[in-house]
Amino acid sequence: MIRIAGFPLVWGASTLLGLALVQPPALSAEPAPYREMERPLETYIPHASGDRKFSNTYRYWKDPKNLDWRLAGNPDENWKLNWKFMDPPFNQAIHGGHFALDRGESLYKFLNRGGSFAACLGAGKGGLKGLRTSYPRYDKTLKRVVGLEEKIQICGAIEGRVLENGSYDNSAISLYIAGFSKGMPMRIDVSKGPLKEAFERGRRLYHTRAGRMNFACATCHIHNVGKHLRGNTVTTPFGDVVHFPVYRTKYELQSLQLRFMECNLDTGTQPLLPGSPAYTDLEVFLSALSNGYAVTVPSERD
Amino acid sequence: MLPHLIAIGWGVLGLAVCSLAADLPGNLAIDPTAAIKTQVPRVVPNSGRLQWKPHSRDLTEWPSLGYQDKRPTPKPQVTRLEGPSNGDVARGLGIAMDPARGNCVACHQLPGDAWPGTVGNPLLHYRRYGHQDAQVYQQIFDARVFNPNSVMPAYGTFGILSDQDVRDLVAFLQSLD
Repeated sequence: MIRIAGFPLVWGASTLLGLALVQPPALSAEPAPYREMERPLETYIPHASGDRKFSNTYRYWKDPKNLDWRLAGNPDENWKLNWKFMDPPFNQAIHGGHFALDRGESLYKFLNRGGSFAACLGAGKGGLKGLRTSYPRYDKTLKRVVGLEEKIQICGAIEGRVLENGSYDNSAISLYIAGFSKGMPMRIDVSKGPLKEAFERGRRLYHTRAGRMNFACATCHIHNVGKHLRGNTVTTPFGDVVHFPVYRTKYELQSLQLRFMECNLDTGTQPLLPGSPAYTDLEVFLSALSNGYAVTVPSERD
Repeated sequence: MLPHLIAIGWGVLGLAVCSLAADLPGNLAIDPTAAIKTQVPRVVPNSGRLQWKPHSRDLTEWPSLGYQDKRPTPKPQVTRLEGPSNGDVARGLGIAMDPARGNCVACHQLPGDAWPGTVGNPLLHYRRYGHQDAQVYQQIFDARVFNPNSVMPAYGTFGILSDQDVRDLVAFLQSLD
Protein backbone atom coordinates (compact mmCIF):
# COMPACT_ATOMS: atom_id res chain seq x y z
CA MET A 1 0.00 0.00 0.00
CA ILE A 2 1.31 3.44 -0.84
CA ARG A 3 0.48 6.38 1.35
CA ILE A 4 2.08 9.67 2.15
CA ALA A 5 2.35 9.71 5.91
CA GLY A 6 5.63 8.52 7.26
CA PHE A 7 7.43 8.10 3.96
CA PRO A 8 10.37 10.15 2.83
CA LEU A 9 9.40 11.38 -0.56
CA VAL A 10 12.10 11.88 -3.11
CA TRP A 11 11.84 15.53 -4.07
CA GLY A 12 12.13 15.22 -7.81
CA ALA A 13 10.07 12.10 -8.06
CA SER A 14 7.21 13.21 -5.87
CA THR A 15 5.44 15.03 -8.69
CA LEU A 16 5.62 11.94 -10.86
CA LEU A 17 4.57 9.81 -7.93
CA GLY A 18 1.82 12.23 -7.08
CA LEU A 19 -0.89 10.26 -8.79
CA ALA A 20 0.04 7.03 -7.08
CA LEU A 21 0.52 8.70 -3.71
CA VAL A 22 -2.96 10.10 -3.44
CA GLN A 23 -4.69 6.81 -4.10
CA PRO A 24 -6.83 5.57 -1.23
CA PRO A 25 -5.25 2.67 0.63
CA ALA A 26 -5.44 -0.11 -1.90
CA LEU A 27 -5.27 -3.71 -0.86
CA SER A 28 -2.04 -5.27 -1.99
CA ALA A 29 -1.89 -8.69 -3.59
CA GLU A 30 -0.40 -10.39 -0.55
CA PRO A 31 -2.89 -12.07 1.79
CA ALA A 32 -4.02 -10.25 4.91
CA PRO A 33 -2.02 -11.21 8.02
CA TYR A 34 -3.64 -13.30 10.75
CA ARG A 35 -5.62 -11.01 13.05
CA GLU A 36 -8.26 -11.66 15.66
CA MET A 37 -11.43 -9.61 15.72
CA GLU A 38 -13.80 -8.69 18.50
CA ARG A 39 -17.22 -10.00 17.61
CA PRO A 40 -19.80 -9.22 16.67
CA LEU A 41 -19.06 -6.39 14.27
CA GLU A 42 -22.42 -4.84 14.97
CA THR A 43 -24.13 -2.53 12.56
CA TYR A 44 -23.37 0.79 14.14
CA ILE A 45 -25.81 3.65 13.81
CA PRO A 46 -23.59 6.62 12.88
CA HIS A 47 -25.19 8.89 15.47
CA ALA A 48 -24.64 9.54 19.18
CA SER A 49 -28.04 7.96 19.88
CA GLY A 50 -26.64 4.69 18.50
CA ASP A 51 -25.30 4.24 22.04
CA ARG A 52 -28.77 3.00 23.03
CA LYS A 53 -27.87 -0.35 21.46
CA PHE A 54 -24.57 -0.50 23.35
CA SER A 55 -23.94 1.03 26.78
CA ASN A 56 -27.39 2.69 26.83
CA THR A 57 -25.97 5.61 28.80
CA TYR A 58 -27.11 8.08 26.12
CA ARG A 59 -30.14 8.99 28.22
CA TYR A 60 -27.83 10.29 30.95
CA TRP A 61 -25.66 12.54 28.76
CA LYS A 62 -27.73 13.34 25.65
CA ASP A 63 -28.80 16.68 27.09
CA PRO A 64 -25.73 18.36 28.61
CA LYS A 65 -27.91 21.12 30.05
CA ASN A 66 -29.86 18.70 32.20
CA LEU A 67 -27.25 16.38 33.66
CA ASP A 68 -28.08 14.58 36.86
CA TRP A 69 -25.40 15.97 39.10
CA ARG A 70 -25.94 13.28 41.70
CA LEU A 71 -24.32 10.87 39.25
CA ALA A 72 -21.28 13.11 38.89
CA GLY A 73 -20.67 12.96 42.61
CA ASN A 74 -20.83 9.18 42.81
CA PRO A 75 -17.77 7.17 41.75
CA ASP A 76 -19.94 4.19 40.79
CA GLU A 77 -22.27 6.28 38.62
CA ASN A 78 -19.85 8.87 37.24
CA TRP A 79 -19.10 6.90 34.08
CA LYS A 80 -22.73 7.01 32.96
CA LEU A 81 -22.35 10.73 32.29
CA ASN A 82 -19.55 9.91 29.82
CA TRP A 83 -17.48 12.74 31.41
CA LYS A 84 -19.85 15.36 30.04
CA PHE A 85 -19.88 17.00 33.47
CA MET A 86 -16.30 18.06 32.76
CA ASP A 87 -17.26 19.97 29.62
CA PRO A 88 -18.22 23.63 29.45
CA PRO A 89 -20.24 25.50 30.45
CA PHE A 90 -20.13 23.39 33.59
CA ASN A 91 -16.59 24.32 34.39
CA GLN A 92 -16.30 28.07 34.15
CA ALA A 93 -12.83 28.18 35.61
CA ILE A 94 -9.95 29.26 33.43
CA HIS A 95 -7.92 26.24 32.37
CA GLY A 96 -5.22 25.41 29.85
CA GLY A 97 -7.79 25.10 27.08
CA HIS A 98 -8.52 28.82 27.29
CA PHE A 99 -4.86 29.71 26.88
CA ALA A 100 -4.69 27.38 23.88
CA LEU A 101 -7.72 29.13 22.43
CA ASP A 102 -5.90 32.48 22.65
CA ARG A 103 -2.83 30.99 21.01
CA GLY A 104 -4.99 29.46 18.27
CA GLU A 105 -6.69 32.77 17.60
CA SER A 106 -3.48 34.73 17.16
CA LEU A 107 -1.91 32.02 14.99
CA TYR A 108 -5.01 31.72 12.85
CA LYS A 109 -5.33 35.46 12.32
CA PHE A 110 -1.66 35.69 11.39
CA LEU A 111 -1.82 32.78 8.92
CA ASN A 112 -5.10 33.94 7.42
CA ARG A 113 -4.12 37.58 6.92
CA GLY A 114 -4.46 37.05 3.17
CA GLY A 115 -7.54 34.84 3.45
CA SER A 116 -5.90 31.85 1.78
CA PHE A 117 -5.53 29.79 4.98
CA ALA A 118 -9.29 29.72 5.58
CA ALA A 119 -9.93 28.88 1.94
CA CYS A 120 -7.43 26.04 2.12
CA LEU A 121 -9.19 24.66 5.18
CA GLY A 122 -12.43 24.63 3.23
CA ALA A 123 -14.20 27.55 4.89
CA GLY A 124 -17.08 28.73 2.71
CA LYS A 125 -19.19 31.87 2.88
CA GLY A 126 -20.11 31.11 6.45
CA GLY A 127 -16.46 31.37 7.44
CA LEU A 128 -15.37 29.03 10.20
CA LYS A 129 -18.89 28.51 11.50
CA GLY A 130 -19.76 24.82 11.35
CA LEU A 131 -16.44 23.85 9.77
CA ARG A 132 -15.49 21.59 12.67
CA THR A 133 -18.73 19.62 12.42
CA SER A 134 -17.97 18.42 8.88
CA TYR A 135 -14.45 17.09 9.52
CA PRO A 136 -13.04 14.54 8.73
CA ARG A 137 -14.05 15.13 5.11
CA TYR A 138 -13.11 13.99 1.64
CA ASP A 139 -10.47 16.31 0.23
CA LYS A 140 -10.81 16.80 -3.51
CA THR A 141 -7.24 18.05 -3.90
CA LEU A 142 -5.66 15.16 -2.02
CA LYS A 143 -8.31 12.69 -3.25
CA ARG A 144 -8.62 11.10 0.18
CA VAL A 145 -10.22 11.63 3.57
CA VAL A 146 -8.44 13.99 5.97
CA GLY A 147 -9.00 15.06 9.54
CA LEU A 148 -9.05 18.73 10.53
CA GLU A 149 -5.63 18.61 12.21
CA GLU A 150 -4.01 16.99 9.18
CA LYS A 151 -5.53 19.67 6.97
CA ILE A 152 -4.23 22.37 9.31
CA GLN A 153 -0.75 20.90 8.94
CA ILE A 154 -1.01 20.91 5.15
CA CYS A 155 -2.46 24.43 4.93
CA GLY A 156 0.06 25.70 7.46
CA ALA A 157 2.89 24.38 5.29
CA ILE A 158 1.48 26.29 2.32
CA GLU A 159 1.64 29.45 4.46
CA GLY A 160 5.21 28.55 5.39
CA ARG A 161 4.52 27.48 8.96
CA VAL A 162 5.39 24.12 10.54
CA LEU A 163 2.26 22.87 12.30
CA GLU A 164 2.88 19.19 12.94
CA ASN A 165 -0.24 17.12 13.39
CA GLY A 166 -0.67 16.76 17.14
CA SER A 167 1.57 19.69 18.07
CA TYR A 168 0.34 22.38 20.44
CA ASP A 169 0.05 25.06 17.77
CA ASN A 170 -1.81 22.74 15.39
CA SER A 171 -4.28 21.68 18.09
CA ALA A 172 -4.64 25.28 19.27
CA ILE A 173 -5.75 26.35 15.79
CA SER A 174 -8.06 23.32 15.63
CA LEU A 175 -9.52 24.37 18.98
CA TYR A 176 -10.02 27.94 17.80
CA ILE A 177 -11.81 26.68 14.67
CA ALA A 178 -13.93 24.30 16.75
CA GLY A 179 -14.97 27.27 18.88
CA PHE A 180 -16.98 28.61 15.93
CA SER A 181 -19.00 25.37 15.99
CA LYS A 182 -19.58 25.38 19.73
CA GLY A 183 -23.06 24.02 20.39
CA MET A 184 -23.49 22.81 16.82
CA PRO A 185 -23.99 19.06 16.29
CA MET A 186 -21.43 16.94 14.48
CA ARG A 187 -22.61 15.95 11.00
CA ILE A 188 -20.35 13.49 9.18
CA ASP A 189 -22.17 11.84 6.29
CA VAL A 190 -20.89 8.27 6.14
CA SER A 191 -23.74 6.95 4.03
CA LYS A 192 -21.85 6.98 0.76
CA GLY A 193 -18.56 7.44 -1.03
CA PRO A 194 -15.06 7.65 0.46
CA LEU A 195 -16.34 8.56 3.93
CA LYS A 196 -18.47 5.45 4.04
CA GLU A 197 -15.44 3.38 3.03
CA ALA A 198 -13.34 5.09 5.72
CA PHE A 199 -16.11 4.50 8.28
CA GLU A 200 -16.21 0.80 7.44
CA ARG A 201 -12.43 0.50 7.64
CA GLY A 202 -12.46 2.39 10.95
CA ARG A 203 -15.20 0.15 12.31
CA ARG A 204 -13.13 -2.89 11.43
CA LEU A 205 -10.00 -1.40 13.01
CA TYR A 206 -11.96 -0.63 16.15
CA HIS A 207 -12.61 -4.37 16.45
CA THR A 208 -9.13 -5.54 15.43
CA ARG A 209 -6.99 -6.92 18.22
CA ALA A 210 -3.35 -5.85 18.24
CA GLY A 211 -0.29 -5.34 20.40
CA ARG A 212 1.33 -7.02 23.35
CA MET A 213 -1.95 -7.63 25.16
CA ASN A 214 -3.92 -8.45 22.01
CA PHE A 215 -6.62 -5.89 22.78
CA ALA A 216 -8.92 -4.12 20.34
CA CYS A 217 -10.62 -0.82 21.17
CA ALA A 218 -13.87 -2.80 21.27
CA THR A 219 -12.46 -5.28 23.79
CA CYS A 220 -13.11 -2.72 26.51
CA HIS A 221 -15.17 0.04 24.94
CA ILE A 222 -17.88 -2.22 23.54
CA HIS A 223 -17.78 -5.38 25.64
CA ASN A 224 -16.78 -4.06 29.05
CA VAL A 225 -18.35 -0.61 29.31
CA GLY A 226 -19.17 0.26 32.91
CA LYS A 227 -16.71 -2.22 34.35
CA HIS A 228 -13.69 -1.22 36.40
CA LEU A 229 -10.07 -1.43 35.36
CA ARG A 230 -8.78 -0.61 38.81
CA GLY A 231 -9.43 3.13 39.24
CA ASN A 232 -10.84 3.61 35.75
CA THR A 233 -14.32 2.83 34.55
CA VAL A 234 -14.77 2.07 30.87
CA THR A 235 -17.01 4.52 28.99
CA THR A 236 -18.90 4.45 25.71
CA PRO A 237 -17.23 5.50 22.43
CA PHE A 238 -20.35 7.44 21.43
CA GLY A 239 -20.41 11.22 21.69
CA ASP A 240 -16.74 11.39 22.59
CA VAL A 241 -14.97 13.32 19.83
CA VAL A 242 -16.87 16.59 20.31
CA HIS A 243 -14.59 17.82 23.08
CA PHE A 244 -11.29 17.35 21.23
CA PRO A 245 -8.69 18.82 21.16
CA VAL A 246 -8.90 18.79 24.92
CA TYR A 247 -6.79 20.29 27.66
CA ARG A 248 -5.22 17.51 29.71
CA THR A 249 -3.19 18.16 32.81
CA LYS A 250 -0.58 15.67 31.61
CA TYR A 251 -0.70 16.49 27.91
CA GLU A 252 -1.16 20.27 27.74
CA LEU A 253 -3.40 19.91 24.70
CA GLN A 254 -4.40 16.61 23.18
CA SER A 255 -5.84 16.06 19.72
CA LEU A 256 -8.00 13.03 19.03
CA GLN A 257 -5.23 11.23 17.16
CA LEU A 258 -2.77 11.91 19.99
CA ARG A 259 -5.38 10.33 22.23
CA PHE A 260 -5.34 7.28 19.93
CA MET A 261 -1.58 7.10 20.49
CA GLU A 262 -2.16 7.19 24.24
CA CYS A 263 -4.85 4.48 23.97
CA ASN A 264 -2.40 2.31 22.04
CA LEU A 265 0.40 2.89 24.56
CA ASP A 266 -1.91 2.18 27.50
CA THR A 267 -2.81 -1.20 26.01
CA GLY A 268 0.73 -2.15 25.01
CA THR A 269 0.31 -1.54 21.30
CA GLN A 270 2.90 0.23 19.19
CA PRO A 271 1.29 3.59 18.32
CA LEU A 272 1.13 5.03 14.81
CA LEU A 273 2.00 8.55 13.78
CA PRO A 274 -0.74 11.18 13.83
CA GLY A 275 -2.23 11.42 10.36
CA SER A 276 -1.68 7.74 9.59
CA PRO A 277 -4.41 6.35 7.33
CA ALA A 278 -5.49 3.90 10.05
CA TYR A 279 -5.88 6.67 12.64
CA THR A 280 -7.80 8.83 10.19
CA ASP A 281 -10.19 5.96 9.50
CA LEU A 282 -10.66 5.49 13.25
CA GLU A 283 -11.31 9.23 13.52
CA VAL A 284 -14.01 8.98 10.85
CA PHE A 285 -15.63 6.06 12.65
CA LEU A 286 -15.63 7.75 16.05
CA SER A 287 -16.68 11.13 14.63
CA ALA A 288 -19.71 9.47 13.06
CA LEU A 289 -20.56 7.98 16.47
CA SER A 290 -20.75 11.59 17.70
CA ASN A 291 -23.10 12.74 14.95
CA GLY A 292 -25.93 14.82 16.35
CA TYR A 293 -23.95 15.71 19.46
CA ALA A 294 -22.86 19.30 20.07
CA VAL A 295 -19.23 20.43 19.84
CA THR A 296 -18.07 21.47 23.32
CA VAL A 297 -14.80 23.36 23.57
CA PRO A 298 -12.56 24.24 25.30
CA SER A 299 -12.87 21.17 27.48
CA GLU A 300 -10.59 19.74 30.11
CA ARG A 301 -9.76 16.31 31.44
CA ASP A 302 -7.49 15.05 34.15
CA MET B 1 2.53 20.74 -5.37
CA LEU B 2 0.76 19.33 -2.35
CA PRO B 3 2.75 16.10 -2.05
CA HIS B 4 5.88 18.24 -1.79
CA LEU B 5 4.46 20.13 1.14
CA ILE B 6 3.29 17.01 2.89
CA ALA B 7 6.73 15.59 2.43
CA ILE B 8 8.11 18.62 4.24
CA GLY B 9 5.63 18.16 7.03
CA TRP B 10 6.49 14.52 7.57
CA GLY B 11 10.17 14.95 6.92
CA VAL B 12 10.58 17.12 9.98
CA LEU B 13 9.15 14.38 12.15
CA GLY B 14 12.15 12.30 11.25
CA LEU B 15 10.74 9.24 12.97
CA ALA B 16 9.04 6.76 10.71
CA VAL B 17 11.23 8.11 7.95
CA CYS B 18 13.85 5.67 9.13
CA SER B 19 11.46 2.85 9.95
CA LEU B 20 11.94 1.21 6.57
CA ALA B 21 15.61 0.77 7.29
CA ALA B 22 14.75 -1.00 10.52
CA ASP B 23 12.60 -3.47 8.59
CA LEU B 24 9.49 -2.37 10.43
CA PRO B 25 6.25 -1.22 8.82
CA GLY B 26 5.79 2.45 8.01
CA ASN B 27 3.77 4.97 10.04
CA LEU B 28 4.98 3.69 13.42
CA ALA B 29 5.96 6.23 16.08
CA ILE B 30 9.47 4.88 16.51
CA ASP B 31 13.09 5.88 16.61
CA PRO B 32 14.84 2.87 15.06
CA THR B 33 18.22 3.93 16.41
CA ALA B 34 17.11 4.13 20.04
CA ALA B 35 17.42 1.33 22.61
CA ILE B 36 13.67 1.55 23.09
CA LYS B 37 12.28 2.19 19.63
CA THR B 38 8.72 3.02 20.72
CA GLN B 39 8.40 6.80 21.11
CA VAL B 40 5.87 8.85 23.05
CA PRO B 41 4.81 12.30 21.84
CA ARG B 42 5.20 15.27 24.13
CA VAL B 43 3.15 18.37 23.45
CA VAL B 44 5.26 21.52 23.84
CA PRO B 45 3.25 24.68 24.54
CA ASN B 46 3.46 27.34 21.83
CA SER B 47 5.32 25.09 19.43
CA GLY B 48 4.42 23.68 16.04
CA ARG B 49 6.51 20.59 16.64
CA LEU B 50 6.09 17.54 18.83
CA GLN B 51 8.88 16.32 21.05
CA TRP B 52 9.48 12.61 21.37
CA LYS B 53 10.77 10.54 24.24
CA PRO B 54 11.23 6.78 24.60
CA HIS B 55 8.35 4.78 26.02
CA SER B 56 8.96 2.66 29.12
CA ARG B 57 8.87 -0.46 26.95
CA ASP B 58 9.63 -1.32 23.35
CA LEU B 59 6.37 -2.35 21.71
CA THR B 60 7.61 -2.84 18.16
CA GLU B 61 7.74 -6.62 18.28
CA TRP B 62 3.95 -7.02 18.38
CA PRO B 63 1.54 -6.15 15.53
CA SER B 64 0.18 -2.61 15.39
CA LEU B 65 -3.03 -1.27 13.82
CA GLY B 66 -1.15 0.14 10.82
CA TYR B 67 -2.27 -0.90 7.36
CA GLN B 68 1.32 -1.53 6.35
CA ASP B 69 1.83 -3.89 9.28
CA LYS B 70 1.70 -7.36 7.75
CA ARG B 71 3.11 -9.22 10.75
CA PRO B 72 0.68 -11.87 11.95
CA THR B 73 -0.77 -12.04 15.44
CA PRO B 74 0.66 -15.06 17.33
CA LYS B 75 -1.84 -17.90 17.11
CA PRO B 76 -3.23 -19.73 20.16
CA GLN B 77 -0.68 -22.09 21.64
CA VAL B 78 -1.49 -25.28 23.54
CA THR B 79 0.85 -26.07 26.43
CA ARG B 80 1.35 -29.10 28.59
CA LEU B 81 2.29 -28.70 32.24
CA GLU B 82 3.25 -32.00 33.78
CA GLY B 83 3.89 -32.67 37.43
CA PRO B 84 3.78 -30.02 40.15
CA SER B 85 3.88 -26.34 39.22
CA ASN B 86 6.97 -25.77 41.40
CA GLY B 87 5.93 -22.15 41.70
CA ASP B 88 6.77 -19.63 44.38
CA VAL B 89 3.64 -18.18 46.01
CA ALA B 90 5.30 -14.93 47.10
CA ARG B 91 6.78 -14.31 43.66
CA GLY B 92 3.39 -15.07 42.10
CA LEU B 93 1.76 -12.45 44.32
CA GLY B 94 4.34 -9.90 43.23
CA ILE B 95 3.77 -10.64 39.54
CA ALA B 96 -0.02 -10.46 39.93
CA MET B 97 0.15 -7.02 41.55
CA ASP B 98 2.89 -5.50 39.38
CA PRO B 99 1.41 -3.23 36.65
CA ALA B 100 4.48 -3.83 34.50
CA ARG B 101 4.22 -7.63 34.66
CA GLY B 102 1.06 -9.65 35.31
CA ASN B 103 -1.14 -6.74 36.40
CA CYS B 104 -3.86 -9.31 37.13
CA VAL B 105 -5.44 -6.88 39.58
CA ALA B 106 -6.35 -4.50 36.74
CA CYS B 107 -9.18 -6.87 35.83
CA HIS B 108 -9.49 -9.35 38.72
CA GLN B 109 -10.29 -9.06 42.39
CA LEU B 110 -7.37 -10.26 44.50
CA PRO B 111 -6.78 -10.21 48.26
CA GLY B 112 -5.07 -7.12 49.57
CA ASP B 113 -6.27 -4.65 46.97
CA ALA B 114 -9.07 -2.25 47.77
CA TRP B 115 -9.72 -1.07 44.21
CA PRO B 116 -9.70 -4.12 41.92
CA GLY B 117 -10.90 -4.47 38.37
CA THR B 118 -14.25 -6.08 37.60
CA VAL B 119 -13.70 -7.23 34.02
CA GLY B 120 -12.57 -10.74 34.99
CA ASN B 121 -13.84 -13.20 37.58
CA PRO B 122 -12.93 -12.51 41.22
CA LEU B 123 -9.94 -14.60 42.26
CA LEU B 124 -10.25 -14.14 46.02
CA HIS B 125 -10.79 -17.86 46.71
CA TYR B 126 -9.36 -19.25 43.50
CA ARG B 127 -8.56 -22.72 44.85
CA ARG B 128 -12.25 -23.34 45.44
CA TYR B 129 -12.89 -23.31 41.68
CA GLY B 130 -11.07 -26.67 41.74
CA HIS B 131 -9.05 -26.22 38.55
CA GLN B 132 -6.06 -28.45 37.85
CA ASP B 133 -2.64 -26.79 37.78
CA ALA B 134 -2.26 -27.62 34.10
CA GLN B 135 -5.56 -25.87 33.30
CA VAL B 136 -4.54 -22.78 35.25
CA TYR B 137 -1.16 -22.76 33.52
CA GLN B 138 -2.84 -22.93 30.10
CA GLN B 139 -5.34 -20.20 31.04
CA ILE B 140 -2.52 -17.80 31.89
CA PHE B 141 -0.23 -18.94 29.07
CA ASP B 142 -2.92 -18.60 26.40
CA ALA B 143 -6.57 -18.44 27.40
CA ARG B 144 -7.68 -18.45 23.76
CA VAL B 145 -7.27 -22.22 23.78
CA PHE B 146 -10.32 -22.46 26.07
CA ASN B 147 -12.21 -19.48 24.64
CA PRO B 148 -11.26 -17.88 21.31
CA ASN B 149 -12.94 -14.63 22.38
CA SER B 150 -11.15 -14.43 25.72
CA VAL B 151 -10.17 -10.89 26.70
CA MET B 152 -7.28 -12.16 28.79
CA PRO B 153 -3.82 -11.47 27.36
CA ALA B 154 -1.93 -14.61 26.28
CA TYR B 155 0.95 -14.09 28.72
CA GLY B 156 3.00 -17.03 27.49
CA THR B 157 2.40 -16.95 23.75
CA PHE B 158 3.04 -13.20 23.56
CA GLY B 159 6.18 -13.46 25.68
CA ILE B 160 4.90 -11.21 28.46
CA LEU B 161 5.76 -13.72 31.21
CA SER B 162 8.27 -16.54 31.37
CA ASP B 163 7.49 -20.18 32.06
CA GLN B 164 8.62 -19.75 35.68
CA ASP B 165 6.51 -16.57 36.05
CA VAL B 166 3.41 -18.50 34.99
CA ARG B 167 4.31 -21.34 37.36
CA ASP B 168 4.62 -18.83 40.21
CA LEU B 169 1.20 -17.43 39.36
CA VAL B 170 -0.32 -20.91 39.33
CA ALA B 171 1.12 -21.56 42.79
CA PHE B 172 -0.12 -18.19 44.04
CA LEU B 173 -3.66 -18.68 42.70
CA GLN B 174 -3.91 -22.22 44.06
CA SER B 175 -2.94 -20.86 47.47
CA LEU B 176 -6.00 -18.58 47.62
CA ASP B 177 -8.56 -20.44 49.65
